[in-house]
Amino acid sequence: MGCCTMCCFHTRTFRKSCVYREMSALSGSLWTNIKNKRCGELMPIRQMYFLLLLSRQGKLRLQKWFTPVTEREKKVTREMTLMVLARPPHSCNFLLWRDLKIVYKRYASLYFCCGLEDQDNELLTLEVLQRYVELLDKYFGNVCELDIIFNFEKKAYFILDEFLVGGEILETSKTAVGIAMEEAETLQEVTHTQSLKCDTCPNISICFFCSLNRQWRSI
Amino acid sequence: MSPSVRLQEMIRVIRGARTQGEERGVIQRECAAIRAQFRQADNGTRSHNLAKLLYVHMLGYPAHFGQMECVRLIASPRYNEKRVGYLGAMMLLDEKQDASLLITNSIKNDLSHSSQYVQSLALCTLGCMGSAEMCRDLAPEIDRLLRASNSYIKKKAALCAVHIVRKVPELGELFTPASRSLLSEKNHGVLHGAVVLITELCERNPETLEQFRKAVPELVQIMKGLVMSGYSPEHNVAGISDPFLQVRILRLLRILGRNNETASDAVNDLLAQVATNTDSSKTAGSAVLYETVLTVMDIKSESGLRVLAVNILGRFLLNNDRNIRYISMTSLQKIVQTDHNAVQRHRGTIVDCLKDQDASVKRRALELSLALVSAVNIRSLMKELLLFLSSCPPELRAHTTSGIFNAAERYAPSQRWHIDTILHVLTTAGGDVRDETVPNLIQLITTATELHCYTVHKLYRALIADISVQSLVQVACWCIGEYGDLLLRGECEETEPVQVAEDDVLDALETVLQSHMSSPATRGFALTATMKLSTRITHNVDRIRSIVSIYGSCIDVELQQRAVEYNALFKKYDHMRAAVLERMPVIDKSSPGHTNGESAGGSIKEMEPTKRTQEVALPQEPANQVCDLLDLLGGSGEPPQPSPALSTTALGPVSSTAGGDLLDLLGGLDVTPVPPSVIVYEKNGVTLKLQTDRQTDTGMTITLTATNSTDREITSLTLQAAVPKSVQLQMKAPSGDVIPAHGLGQVTQTVLLNNPNKVSLKMRVRVCYTSQDFVCQDTVQIDSFPSPAW
Repeated sequence: MGCCTMCCFHTRTFRKSCVYREMSALSGSLWTNIKNKRCGELMPIRQMYFLLLLSRQGKLRLQKWFTPVTEREKKVTREMTLMVLARPPHSCNFLLWRDLKIVYKRYASLYFCCGLEDQDNELLTLEVLQRYVELLDKYFGNVCELDIIFNFEKKAYFILDEFLVGGEILETSKTAVGIAMEEAETLQEVTHTQSLKCDTCPNISICFFCSLNRQWRSI
Repeated sequence: MSPSVRLQEMIRVIRGARTQGEERGVIQRECAAIRAQFRQADNGTRSHNLAKLLYVHMLGYPAHFGQMECVRLIASPRYNEKRVGYLGAMMLLDEKQDASLLITNSIKNDLSHSSQYVQSLALCTLGCMGSAEMCRDLAPEIDRLLRASNSYIKKKAALCAVHIVRKVPELGELFTPASRSLLSEKNHGVLHGAVVLITELCERNPETLEQFRKAVPELVQIMKGLVMSGYSPEHNVAGISDPFLQVRILRLLRILGRNNETASDAVNDLLAQVATNTDSSKTAGSAVLYETVLTVMDIKSESGLRVLAVNILGRFLLNNDRNIRYISMTSLQKIVQTDHNAVQRHRGTIVDCLKDQDASVKRRALELSLALVSAVNIRSLMKELLLFLSSCPPELRAHTTSGIFNAAERYAPSQRWHIDTILHVLTTAGGDVRDETVPNLIQLITTATELHCYTVHKLYRALIADISVQSLVQVACWCIGEYGDLLLRGECEETEPVQVAEDDVLDALETVLQSHMSSPATRGFALTATMKLSTRITHNVDRIRSIVSIYGSCIDVELQQRAVEYNALFKKYDHMRAAVLERMPVIDKSSPGHTNGESAGGSIKEMEPTKRTQEVALPQEPANQVCDLLDLLGGSGEPPQPSPALSTTALGPVSSTAGGDLLDLLGGLDVTPVPPSVIVYEKNGVTLKLQTDRQTDTGMTITLTATNSTDREITSLTLQAAVPKSVQLQMKAPSGDVIPAHGLGQVTQTVLLNNPNKVSLKMRVRVCYTSQDFVCQDTVQIDSFPSPAW
């Protein structure tokens, strides 16, 4: 059972029978190479390859890669961003780019783009993007592009990490993500402003349990 | 001044830069400062410097010097530094960097940390960028966390395990027991992670799949609970309770139910329930319904359920939302082969989607329309497709034209319709057609004997209108040359009569010859056509003679050679001219030009040199030159051969069908067709040959023969083959798996290929054998198949 998207062997003698995929015209393309590298595993990978947030001018505001990609290969996605930015409004949110499905949605001045494996459910990915925007909105309160720019390293990425891991959804409840973010933020605040030592445990500044009880004493 | 303001300050400055150069200057200064700071001892600002570096990295500037800093920060005891360090690791340290291994130990320590937030950082990082070695090292830790921790950690550990299984499939067995017990969790996050993990495990390992089939009732229960539950504020999305989890469970049920009756039966009720109860007015509901439809189609569901699924897709097709129409067409494409009639009912809507503004929808509609073409609807559907062709986006044109040609060939109701369709396509989009269209069309025209007059009139009119489309011009020249007498006669039943004078025809051909738009191949066609007209017209033979002699000194070698030979035909062999240039007989469709999809030999130029080399071997007589001319005339109308190298064997049969009487006149070419076999693999003394036994429009039978020229015998020979998706492959049992040494024996294996869609046939063969105690394995790609024995 199970199918290899690239490496193609359809025979009785092969234990895990696979289906050959027609060689894409861009067989030299970098993306096909990436998939070929995984080919040794002989299995389909149903996942998100990347999530990118772009401004209307094509500047990257956030990038999350769920697969190892070199810097040069990342630059190849420039072509994809141009395709997405050129789409007229009210058009279909799905397009094909080099064997990948791209699901994109525009929220105000930001384009959220996801690169998916061909087998994935695109409508669900639209929901994933919607959910991420809602989480950002809830956290920032009326989020706008500038919020994400100026708080990328503290907030935007951390919310993403509480929501998606390895390309899969981590938590389906909005409130749970919010709670986790707040608690982590508290921990961060506490440890940021001062070096703290806790009474009851020797770990400097990371004992969250103790911080709740607020048994702090400054050094 | 708190250092974090400096980050925001830096961002502001960069954004304020007015030119690219200014921005680069700012960034270079900042990077220099950051580098200096990194070299200093810990001063509490490391995390902020790294954050600044990450911003610079996102803008596209190099940031590799931050990698070691990430490693150091991850090892720091402070939470905020760890956090930024892990973020840096995910952005800068993918598994291709050497530094990534250095963080393995830190991750290991953090996985056992007392604070769950530190654990979660480590899990998240491992789940996003862990390399295979890191995964192997840390898998037992992850397994431990899967079993005994709180739900916050469990769900992260589950997704981390998913990543590990993807990287190192063998470790799947490690996680199987833990994942089974996770199914009884109440927390949706953990449940979701567990379902994803089980899906991965089942997809990779058939034994695990068998094990988890027993979990189907439990999954059905969970799903029922979700569907029937009331409003839950935490998980509700547009009226659907946790659509993400529902979709994942449906996907898992699909994998478990595939090819298995019992599992499929168990979920039938559930699928019917989900399909009827889910409200699809919003995207979330549609996503769940879509997944349900995909599941129904994939497992062995009962027919009523399948009908329901197709109806849902039909409903989606009428939806206003473009996305939903797009995905419904995608799914219909998957089932059009099996449930053809059901999809035919929606043909009208699909054809309407061809007129949609959106490029993605158009593409899907095109593919689906081409799949829906049948003998019944060919006329109306072709009208729509031709209309689409005139306004379709450029990237879809080539696909459209080839689809139209395939459809026309299979279902043409009449030859005249077929010719008209092809001409229409050539006039609309002639630049985007494949090379073999020209010979195919010519072959078609020769078979439609009663339509010669009509065809040549139509083509003449197209030629004088526009000579920029090479394929059309080539066909037109050939026809005018061949049927010029019919053109000049002026009367034709099927079109209005038009008086065409000989001068007009010759003017047209000369325009093609002299135009800079004509490609060399086209000019070759035009010259040959002019020559052929010398026997079909009465008055202007001198003009033809002068044209031909002018080109005798043309720079293009091909044209020059032709002109010189035609000159010779005028001067020395004038007595033969009429016989040589007489009407061509009907050409047989001998070679698999379509199914191979190769354009080799499509143009005359490629054909001629190889044919001519064959002629050198023949006895040197005047007959030699006439044979060349014969080939010239025969070559311009031949359907393409699969590869030039095989024209040796193809020459024999071809010459015998075309102009066979002339050959007899000249004493005949003594070429006996030999079943051609191509050597596809030759290494280590093992030779693998491929031979086509039989060939039809939709399939072929080939034989693979393996021989061994080494001193020792080759053992454990296995041949495996792969073909494109729509082609069906059946490998018969091989004659053995040991090849005797010194070429004393051979192993043969027959392969049957069924190609109903007539896609371009390619095949990959994997050869495994043991030779002198070495196990060898090689892959060979076969792009072209030899023509079968006659």
